[in-house]
Amino acid sequence: MNIFDQIRLGLAVGIAKSVTAFVKALKLGAASVLPGEISRRIHPRLLPLLFEQVKSGVILIVGTNGKTTTSLLLRTILENQGYRVTHNATGANLINGLITALLADTNLIGKLNRDYAILEVDENILPLILKDCCPRYILGLNLFRDQLDRYGEVDTISFRWQKAISPLPKDTVVVLNADDPTLAYLGQNLPQKVLFFGLNEPDLYLGEIPHAVDSIYCPSCGHLLDYKGVYLSHLGDYHCPSCGFEKSPPLLQSTEWGQILIGVYNKYNTLAAATLAQEIGIERPAIDETIKNFRAAFGRAEELTVDGKHVRILLSKNPVGMNETIRAVNDIQAKGKSSVSLIVLNDRIPDGTDVSWIWDVDTEKLVANGGTIVVSGDRVYDMALRLQYSQDKLSEAAKPLNLIIQENLEEAISTALTHTPPQETLHILPTYSAMLEVRQFLTGRKIL
Amino acid sequence: MELRIGWLYPKLMSTYGDRGNVICLQKRAQWRGFDVTLVPLDRQSEAAQFATVDLIVGGGAQDRQQEIVMRDLQGAKAIALKEKLDTGTPGVFTCGSPQLLGKYYEPALGQRIEGLGVLDLETKHPGLEAPRCIGNVVFEITASPLAEDLQAQLGEPPIVIGFENHGGRTYLGNVAPLGKVIQGYGNNGQDGWEGAFHRHAIATYSHGPLLPKNPFLADWLIQKALQEKYQTAISLAPLDNTTATQARKAMFERLELSSRVKTA
Repeated sequence: MNIFDQIRLGLAVGIAKSVTAFVKALKLGAASVLPGEISRRIHPRLLPLLFEQVKSGVILIVGTNGKTTTSLLLRTILENQGYRVTHNATGANLINGLITALLADTNLIGKLNRDYAILEVDENILPLILKDCCPRYILGLNLFRDQLDRYGEVDTISFRWQKAISPLPKDTVVVLNADDPTLAYLGQNLPQKVLFFGLNEPDLYLGEIPHAVDSIYCPSCGHLLDYKGVYLSHLGDYHCPSCGFEKSPPLLQSTEWGQILIGVYNKYNTLAAATLAQEIGIERPAIDETIKNFRAAFGRAEELTVDGKHVRILLSKNPVGMNETIRAVNDIQAKGKSSVSLIVLNDRIPDGTDVSWIWDVDTEKLVANGGTIVVSGDRVYDMALRLQYSQDKLSEAAKPLNLIIQENLEEAISTALTHTPPQETLHILPTYSAMLEVRQFLTGRKIL
Repeated sequence: MELRIGWLYPKLMSTYGDRGNVICLQKRAQWRGFDVTLVPLDRQSEAAQFATVDLIVGGGAQDRQQEIVMRDLQGAKAIALKEKLDTGTPGVFTCGSPQLLGKYYEPALGQRIEGLGVLDLETKHPGLEAPRCIGNVVFEITASPLAEDLQAQLGEPPIVIGFENHGGRTYLGNVAPLGKVIQGYGNNGQDGWEGAFHRHAIATYSHGPLLPKNPFLADWLIQKALQEKYQTAISLAPLDNTTATQARKAMFERLELSSRVKTA
């Protein structure tokens, strides 16, 4: 870094830190984005300069679902080894959020004394970051349909990833989900070192490919892919009968590994973090230990005790995510340990303003188990309508389901808690902004 | 009585919850005691399948999927679909599928895609820099005789509420618009019209879950489908629409339209 860069960097950092202090002092928010925005105007090359300072390199985590949980697991593995790690833990995953997170750990002249930085990155801005920043590792979890009101299509995104990753230095390590055809194809066509993770457990195959599926076509030739089975959405064991494209072998044998939290999707998150941790050089026993003692990130299968009742919050922000949380809840319901769910549907910017996606969710599977479902949120009636149409009969008498509609979220939470028997778990399935609100009510403190 | 619902390319054309329309028609028919069969009209189907359905539903596709559909929906299949719609089989085509039924679609990049020409409309994408038309959309049905039928049933002008998200702009030729925009962009954001109407087919940019929040449209389609099939007058038993009414009311209030539209 030349002296001019150093001075401008110092200035940018100084101002960013002042803004953070100001925003926090006046309780205007958590200052997770604004300081980055301001300092980037002072120094446009701020992000690459910060990247260069991370001693052992930056790890980018991309994908539609699972970024936060996987980042937290990997971070905990690294920290348990004594490494100092920066992480955009607030989930602010656009450029200003990344800068803000890195700046928070610099000293007053902009020196960043960290071994690793784990940065969750929005799938759409990865190419923008890679234009002038060099990560040491890139971890690609999955690509599902999410918030199409903001973004393009899955195909377009993976094409742009490939164009952005290919020119990076050859020693960049890319870890990708082998079970996602789009990502496997991406990995098979990168010049860098690519490691794959995935499942090899036919016992977990779904009965049929869910409706909310994007890519069942060969990313190479466009022919329909032949699936031996799917684990979730379009993730599975597949090959192309036309051109021979097939799943790349995962590095780790999934049956030999434990998992964090609940649900098949968290098996993927576990294997993703473990594959990368091993590549970094961390020994198996240390990884196993962290997996065993892992505590959820906020709202991601997070467990709380409220008024003596056990509550589990399962963020559900898109069709694939919600199908998987319903599957996890079904497993617990089948064991007789849960009969009450609360679904909270918001349509704010972080949730996506279009709630049409709820019709791609197989809510029929939740409704079929009967019990009580309480609905709330900005679009409470849209969700209630979806659940009504998930029933075989419309008449009150024939309903196995007790559907309770409550506009007011606080009352909805209270109703759901009241209906939950003492030995059971209340499952809350909120969209992103709804999850933050729910947590605020349950824990009495704001997190963002 | 049996209702056979033909679903155009369920795996390829289902981008924005478009399945919601199929679920709504299926359940509203079943709740009234009709037998319902869902007939996928996809790449595996023969053209003869088209002739066996009483009602046709189409949704939106992503670009790659739309291409696959257009390659498949040619020749005998295209003729069969056109024949059905021209002879009065009811249909609901949302999101991208109206483009498919039109004369052509000119994408932002690449070549003009020829449509089936069932509806006299053209769609052009004004370029990648042009903003997409995204948001809640509200329009009043004006197409005849649909508007009159619904007005008689509801006792007030039929107002549709939905969500649109499209890059292409559609311009109507010799075909009736479905309705007049009250809020949102509609076909092209300029002339104030939304969708198109031909015989008993409804085409609109409002995607996927159009019918659950506008149940009068679903019932009209079911009724017309059964009347066409059995050639006899059909009257449908009323269903409880309380939740749909509440969902509509909440959105009208948010859009500050409560004073302009009643909320039946």
